[in-house]
Amino acid sequence: MSTPSPIPPPNDRRSSRASSNAGPPSSNLNVPSEPSDLLVVGGPPSSPSPLALRASNSPSSKRRKSRAAKVPPDVHMLEYVSACDSNLVCLICHSPFDRPVKLPCEHYFCRECVDHAWDAQQEDLRSCPTCRTKVDPQKDLSPVPRIIETMLDELVVKCPNTKTGCDWVDQRVNVHDHVMLYCEYTLVECPSTDCRLPISQKDFHKGCLHSTVSCEHCHASLMKKDLEVGSVMSICPNRSTNCPHCFIELLRLDLKPHVKDVCPMVSIPCSGAIVGCKVTAERIEVEEHEKTCPMATMAPFFREQQARVERSEARLDPLSRKIGILEDGLTNITSMLYPANGNDSSFPVTNPLDPNSSEAFPPASLMPTPDFRLPPASFPPVPQSSDTTQAQPPFDSQVHHLLTLHESLRDEVSRVSNALTELEGRTSMTIMNENQRVKEDMLHTNAAINGMRMQLHWLMSATLQQRSASAAGSSTARAGSSTGPSASGSGTQGASSRASATFRAPIRRLSDSTRQDVKL
Amino acid sequence: MSTGAKKRIMKEYAECAADTPAGMKIIFDEQNMTKWEVLLDGPDQSIYAGGHFKLEITFPNEYPFKPPVVSFKTKIYHPNVSNDDKGSMCLGLLRPDEWKPPNKVVSVLRLIQTLLIEPDIDDSIEPSIANEYKENRKEFDKNAKDWVKRYAK
Ligand SMILES: [Zn+2]
Ligand SMILES: [Zn+2]
Ligand SMILES: [Zn+2]
Ligand SMILES: [Zn+2]
Ligand SMILES: [Zn+2]
Ligand SMILES: [Zn+2]
Ligand SMILES: [Zn+2]
Repeated sequence: MSTPSPIPPPNDRRSSRASSNAGPPSSNLNVPSEPSDLLVVGGPPSSPSPLALRASNSPSSKRRKSRAAKVPPDVHMLEYVSACDSNLVCLICHSPFDRPVKLPCEHYFCRECVDHAWDAQQEDLRSCPTCRTKVDPQKDLSPVPRIIETMLDELVVKCPNTKTGCDWVDQRVNVHDHVMLYCEYTLVECPSTDCRLPISQKDFHKGCLHSTVSCEHCHASLMKKDLEVGSVMSICPNRSTNCPHCFIELLRLDLKPHVKDVCPMVSIPCSGAIVGCKVTAERIEVEEHEKTCPMATMAPFFREQQARVERSEARLDPLSRKIGILEDGLTNITSMLYPANGNDSSFPVTNPLDPNSSEAFPPASLMPTPDFRLPPASFPPVPQSSDTTQAQPPFDSQVHHLLTLHESLRDEVSRVSNALTELEGRTSMTIMNENQRVKEDMLHTNAAINGMRMQLHWLMSATLQQRSASAAGSSTARAGSSTGPSASGSGTQGASSRASATFRAPIRRLSDSTRQDVKL
Repeated sequence: MSTGAKKRIMKEYAECAADTPAGMKIIFDEQNMTKWEVLLDGPDQSIYAGGHFKLEITFPNEYPFKPPVVSFKTKIYHPNVSNDDKGSMCLGLLRPDEWKPPNKVVSVLRLIQTLLIEPDIDDSIEPSIANEYKENRKEFDKNAKDWVKRYAK
C-alpha cells in the first residue's frame, strides 16, 4: 500500500495546494503562531482508508495532543451555491469531484469513492465501477487534467458552519483555509484542561463556558455559552424585547397583552364595526376616530339590544312549541265533542282577542269561529326616548293570547265534565226503570211457576191414587178416574185418557198442561 | 451508513422527486431515508393496469456499492417477483454482481415498470408462473388480472 503512486495520497486534502507548496502535507494547515503539534490534520501518508483517516481526524482521537484541533471540512458535505456541471459530478457520490482520479478507461471518480468501491471487491479483481475494466490501483490511477482541477477549485461553496452563523461564501479552493484558520464558527476544543466539549473559535478566549448557570429571571438552567451567544434572549420570558409595532421595550411575557390591549401602533377596527363602520387603523387613530364616530357611540346600545332580542327569541321558541301542543289538544277535544260539524261554528271557544267574551258563555250555536292565528302586532305607543322596550309589546300580547286560550280551554273542560255528570244521571235512571220492569216480570213468572207446581202435585197424587185403585179393583179405578177430568177442567182430554191405556195418561197430561201454562 | 452514502440517497431522492416516472409516487422519510416506499400504478399497456402496488426499496449500508433491495408489499402474479411474503425482485441490475455504483434508483424504478409490461422470462424467480406465461398465456393473464382484483385494488 505504501508504494508511491502518481497521485497524491488520500490524506492530502488539497492536492493542488500541497504540490505547489512542495512541503509536507500538513505544513500549510498549521496556525503559524502555535506549536506544530496543536494542529495536526490528516494521518501519515500511508494511511490506507479514507474512513480510517476521517476517524483519526475526529477530536476524540486527537484530544490528548491538541487542544484546539479543528476538523477539516469534508468536501463531500459542502453546500454548493449553484448547480454544477454534470460532467464534474462523481457517479458514486453524486457530488462534484473531490480529489478526482482518472482510471485507464477514462472514467473519473473521487479518490475516496473509488477506494470505497474497491473495498467491497477482492484485491485482485478490482475494476472500474462504471465499465468493469480491470484496474490495478497501484499503477493505473492517474491525475485528472489540470483544467478539471481548476474548474472544481472555482466552484462556489458556502462555509460548512453556515448553520451556526457563518455567512462566508467563496470558491471551493479556499474553504479549507477558511475553516481551519479564519472561520469564527469552527468548533474547537474548550481551553479548560478538564473540559473537552466543543466551543466556537470566537468564544475560545472567554475560557470554559460549559458550566450550567441558572437564568436570573426565569431560573431555567442553561449552558453559559448559550447565555453568551445570546440565544437565551429569544427564549427567556423575563428578558426584555421590543414590540414589533411600537418598538417600546418591554418584557417578553408582557408582549401579548400589550399588543392585544395597549399598543398604540397595532391596527384595530373601530368599535362601531358591528353597526357598519368600516374604519380600521392604528389604535391611537381609532381612539381619536371613536370620539366622533356616531356608530361607535351607538355600538354599546346596539350590543345590549341585540343581547335582549336574542334572549327574547330564546324564550319565544319553547312558548310557540307549547301553543302548538295546546292547539292540537284543542282540535282533538273539539272533534271528539262535535264529530258531525267538526270544529267550525259550534265550537264554544271565545275569541281570544275579545277579553270580555270569555266571561259569559253564549249558547253553542252562537259562538264565533275560533281564531288561533296570532293577533297582528299591535304595540302600545313606545316613548321615543327609551328604545330598549321595543322588544316587549309583541311578547306581551302573545302571552295574553295564550292565557285567553288557556281560560277558554278550562271552561270547555268544565262544560264537558258537567255534560258527563248529567249523562251519568240519566243513564242510571234508565237502568233503574229497566230494573223495576224486569223485577215485576220475574214476580209474574214466579207466580205462574208456583201455580203449575201445585197443579202438578195435585195431578201426581191423583195418578198415584188411580194406580193404587186399579191395583185393588176395576170398580174403584173407574170411580178414581171419574174424579180426574172434573178437576182438570177439560172434558175431551179426560175422555181420551179414559179410552187409551191407563198407564200413558199422566205423562201426556203433564206435557199438555206445561204447554198451556207457558202460553199464559 | 456513511454520511456520504446518506448524502447520495438524499440527492437521488431530490432527483426522483423532480422527475418521478409516470404512475409512481415515492414516500420518503427523512428520519429513515434508507427505506423508500413507492406507490406504483400498473402501467396502462400491461395486464396490471388498474392495480395499485406498494413497493419498498431498502438501501444497504454499503450503498451505492451494493444494490438496493426491491420488494413488492402488494401481492403480484409475476414471474420475476417471488410469490411469498417478501415479494422480492432480483434480476438485471438488481443482482449484486451486476450492480454498479453509478447506477441510480431511477433506473431501478424504470426497470420495474418495464418488467410489469414485459416480464423477463429467462430470468424468472417463479418458474411455474414463467412456464404458464410461455405455454398458456391466456391462463396467466387471467390469474394476473385476478390477483390485481384481489390484492391491488
Ligand atoms: Zn465521489
Ligand atoms: Zn471505466
Ligand atoms: Zn465560516
Ligand atoms: Zn469547557
Ligand atoms: Zn430566563
Ligand atoms: Zn406596541
Ligand atoms: Zn367608526
